[in-house]
Amino acid sequence: MTTGKIKLTSSEGTEFVIDKDVGEKSILLKNMLEDVGENDMAIPLPNVTGPILTKVIEYCTHHRDDPVITQDDDSKKTSDDIDEWDSEFCKVDQGTLFELILAANYLDIKPLLDLTCKTVANMIKGKSPEEIRKTFNITNDFTPEEEMQVKHENEWCEERTT
Amino acid sequence: MQRTPPPHVPWVSIAAFHSLPTPAPSPQLFPQLPEAGSTCPPTITTMISTQAEDFNRTVRMGFQNMDNLQRQRLLAELLNTCNTEQLVFVSNYISPRLKRDFLKDLPIEISLHILSFIDDPRTLSRASSVSKFWRSLLNDDYTWKNLCARHHYYFHNKRCNSNSNNSSSLLLESSNSNSRCVRFSYKDHFRRRYVVESNWKNGGRTLKTHISPDSGVVTSLQMCENFIVVGMDNKKIHVFGASNGRYVKTLTGHEGGVWALQYFDEILVSGGCDRDVRVWNLITGQCKHVLHGHTSTVRSLKMKNSKIAVSGSRDTTLRIWDIEEGRMLHLLAGHQASVRCIEIYENLIVSGSYDCTARVWDMSTGQCLHVLQGHFSQIYSIAFDGQKIVTGSLDATARVWSAQTGRCLGVLQGHTSLVGQMQLHESTLVTGGSDGAIRIWDLETNQCVHRIAAHDNSVTCLQFDDKRIVSGGNDGHVKLWDVQTGSFIRELTTQGNAVWRLAFNDTKAVILLQRESKTVMEVLDFDECDHLSVECDDTWN
Repeated sequence: MTTGKIKLTSSEGTEFVIDKDVGEKSILLKNMLEDVGENDMAIPLPNVTGPILTKVIEYCTHHRDDPVITQDDDSKKTSDDIDEWDSEFCKVDQGTLFELILAANYLDIKPLLDLTCKTVANMIKGKSPEEIRKTFNITNDFTPEEEMQVKHENEWCEERTT
Repeated sequence: MQRTPPPHVPWVSIAAFHSLPTPAPSPQLFPQLPEAGSTCPPTITTMISTQAEDFNRTVRMGFQNMDNLQRQRLLAELLNTCNTEQLVFVSNYISPRLKRDFLKDLPIEISLHILSFIDDPRTLSRASSVSKFWRSLLNDDYTWKNLCARHHYYFHNKRCNSNSNNSSSLLLESSNSNSRCVRFSYKDHFRRRYVVESNWKNGGRTLKTHISPDSGVVTSLQMCENFIVVGMDNKKIHVFGASNGRYVKTLTGHEGGVWALQYFDEILVSGGCDRDVRVWNLITGQCKHVLHGHTSTVRSLKMKNSKIAVSGSRDTTLRIWDIEEGRMLHLLAGHQASVRCIEIYENLIVSGSYDCTARVWDMSTGQCLHVLQGHFSQIYSIAFDGQKIVTGSLDATARVWSAQTGRCLGVLQGHTSLVGQMQLHESTLVTGGSDGAIRIWDLETNQCVHRIAAHDNSVTCLQFDDKRIVSGGNDGHVKLWDVQTGSFIRELTTQGNAVWRLAFNDTKAVILLQRESKTVMEVLDFDECDHLSVECDDTWN
């Protein structure tokens, strides 16, 4: 094994060889590598499929030189700060985005988790309930009575006039 | 099919025909074909459709037995034979199937993480109308706690007396005062604050209007947790309830106009033209002490707590009083002219005088620690946060001083006339001048951040918090401004002749102004209000 490289195995058994610093964008992998030490063994990732792992590696490679953000300021959280590359990266079908979120969460890659979650948040923002349902193919399961009640509960938020 | 079997036809062929697999009908994906043999008689069509079903079945089974690569190859081949219409059909058929109900299908902590990136309450409330699951998820307090933080809807427990006389920041009173044990929810808290905020911008109601029979000049005002206290130049002090604005009582005893007052808990201290400092119990209305000593009008007054008060007078001195025992503790002499304004922070007193200087005093010893020299004219206003002292002067400048060293840290220039009004909070200073302007300063840099042409005449009163500035002027207007941008939001009441004093907290504002030669007090309420219940035309005298 070349120094500075690590091997990963996706759920189908496909092997990926990547640079160690790219892999260490994942806190899960970073901790595993620290525990195991220099080792030729491939790390199995049974929760991540090959295509998703390819995307994750693409992300980590692009962001390999980003500084590590240790503490995020909750009050400054916004979904309007996605840069162009990241935004292109997230232009995938919902199934892929879904799997990416799960992979980012499992592999503990905070910036990727934030990016993918922001992308979903942006799909919700500014939409009416019906538009949201259409976006995510959700069935309206309220009874008419419940729907009236929910509407009433949310009146305070709609445009207020005197 | 020929059903006249000649004897030589082997029966096995018939048996073979009948032994073709005939499984139970499998779930149909689309479009529903008429069920064979149900309503239609067995015709040629049903025969064909049975054959088609058989074919589909075979294909499906074959497909299921393929590996991924083989499947993809077959699908590609099929799609290659499709025309546009069929491809559109495929596309419409597939696209909803590729969608995911992210919030429902993801682990809940990730769903909440997604919601934490949404800072628009309207989106969140609309999202809760999507489905039962979304509604339950959006009732999670984590989301609303985030939103409270994002909108700076914090809980204030700062006492208003710890700040300057006219600044106060109150805990929102419980909206349901008769149901005390309601479970706290960030969503409710957010909702309430959101409604209050939008009422400030566009709404609210007049809770109470009091009109005096005379035209007494209002000299002083304080609104805190329980009371609104108003001092008048006609010797009277009026007390109102802070929650409902109702008149409670009038404290009489001063023999001259009341020019300064402050209360802390239920203890009120007042002073004025009769040179006395009076200590009152606001609950009983009883005057506990009359403190003699000053030889001229008491023009300024501040309480450290309910035990110690400091008064400043036209006799050039300050006096520190034990208001519990009713005796003087220290006489602070040094100023060469009238003491116009006082601020207190813990053990330090700062005073501004018509002798153009300000002084820093030690409260426990009565010693003068620093003389702040620099202004070219009388000092009318002062602000103090324990570290920095700001003084406003007739020389049209404000000066920033270090309380520690007494050094002047900066001269704030821009006003073209007397700087008579000011409030300091953290690094923000807001000043109001006789030039009608309001200026917002950043004391980190001593730069003017916003300059507002606020009133046609002197700014007579102002107050700000982290969201807004309310100002009153000699032009009779009461105006609301955005403290961050300096932009005008709206007028809070109909114009009068002149505005005397004002005070506000999170949900209420009190305005004292002269309108049609009468002294009018208005209490405005910005809390939730389902119905209007305006009470007015109470007289107070």
